[in-house]
Amino acid sequence: MNEHWIDRLSEYLDGELPDNERVALEAHLQECDQCTATLDDLQRVVRRAQSLAPMTPGNDLWPAIARRIGATPPQSDTVIDLATRRERTRRWAFSLPQLAAAGIALMTLSGGAVWLLREPSHPAPVAVVNSARGDTTPVVSVALKPSASQSYAAAVADLERVLAEGRGRLDTTTVRVIEQNLATIDRAIAEAQRALDADSGNMYLNTHLAETMRRKLELLRQAASLARVS
Amino acid sequence: MNELGLGVATLEHEQTGRTDPDAVDATLAASGDASAFERLYRNHVSRIYGLVRRMLNDDDADEVAQDIFVRAWQKLGTFRGEAAFGTWLHRLAVNVILARRETLGTRRKRYLEGDAVLDMVPAKRPGPEMAMDFESAMQRLPEGAREVFVLHDVEGYRHEEIAEMLGLATGTSKSQLHRARMALRQHLER
Repeated sequence: MNEHWIDRLSEYLDGELPDNERVALEAHLQECDQCTATLDDLQRVVRRAQSLAPMTPGNDLWPAIARRIGATPPQSDTVIDLATRRERTRRWAFSLPQLAAAGIALMTLSGGAVWLLREPSHPAPVAVVNSARGDTTPVVSVALKPSASQSYAAAVADLERVLAEGRGRLDTTTVRVIEQNLATIDRAIAEAQRALDADSGNMYLNTHLAETMRRKLELLRQAASLARVS
Repeated sequence: MNELGLGVATLEHEQTGRTDPDAVDATLAASGDASAFERLYRNHVSRIYGLVRRMLNDDDADEVAQDIFVRAWQKLGTFRGEAAFGTWLHRLAVNVILARRETLGTRRKRYLEGDAVLDMVPAKRPGPEMAMDFESAMQRLPEGAREVFVLHDVEGYRHEEIAEMLGLATGTSKSQLHRARMALRQHLER
């Protein structure tokens, strides 16, 4: 055994030894059983390391992560104590200044929404907010402008057609992920629409619906683009 | 961000030309979709958790793994799809782990020179009563040698990348790897 060569065995194993040293080491290995055995051991160490399996945490970490990023885990998977439930179902009460501020915010949003609808470069769905006239209570009614709704549906249909035509060019994993994501978005859209049927003036629900529809459009755009170039 | 305010992660790798099935979820997550981020978590948690456990050897693995995913959520806007999402996440995880090390003040005596690493190894191959599994043997390596070994032989990083991440000379990374391998060969299952 030669200590000098023993210290170079890992570099030899990793193909990082200069040619002249590699040739000299290989000549040494022809004569030295101990170095040859050590090299064999090191190869086995590397193979063992490469075969180590991923580790699964003992507990699902997602609920804690979801809390930290501000996402709420699905309620079906979560036991909610009564205090939390009361907190979630507490009715909101606003002071007069808060209501005034909300009214200003709604007018601003209404103006922005109308501007977006008039902009031909923004085909994404937009919820139009109308402040109730002649009423001191800041009740709002929200509706998707028919022309925006039609152009959105047409854009979605067009992108879905392109995606369907190019589907065969995408690998199955990509297709599966896209379909899963589209299904998730469609479910979210359907849920938001159902909730709006019961509470059409809900500002949050309208914004959420518009954003979700916009996400669908963006996902379809990316997927269709991928299908075209694949 | 594009004109619609969504984070953009191209579906096709710029470097490899291959599609990244995580890119769609990364894009959705970057726009605030927690469900998409949960799918990313499910796909990658095992590899990330394994990295944490093997690198840190402490009881805080759950907390550190959580920190990694929370950091990833915060940094999703910087993911541009130049590499696979898994590669991006893994590199972020290494940075979080190393920062954690600094916080814990555990950098002391990490990079032992000479034969100090080999001192832990019995002169002869241990008999059955001394045998320990490979994972346990890895945990007994000095921290510096273990970091290099995990990053190079388990995770597949090159010495140049490891040297950059750990702030070492490339030669130090190579020597630490060799010493770790020499120590671990005593604990190969026969």
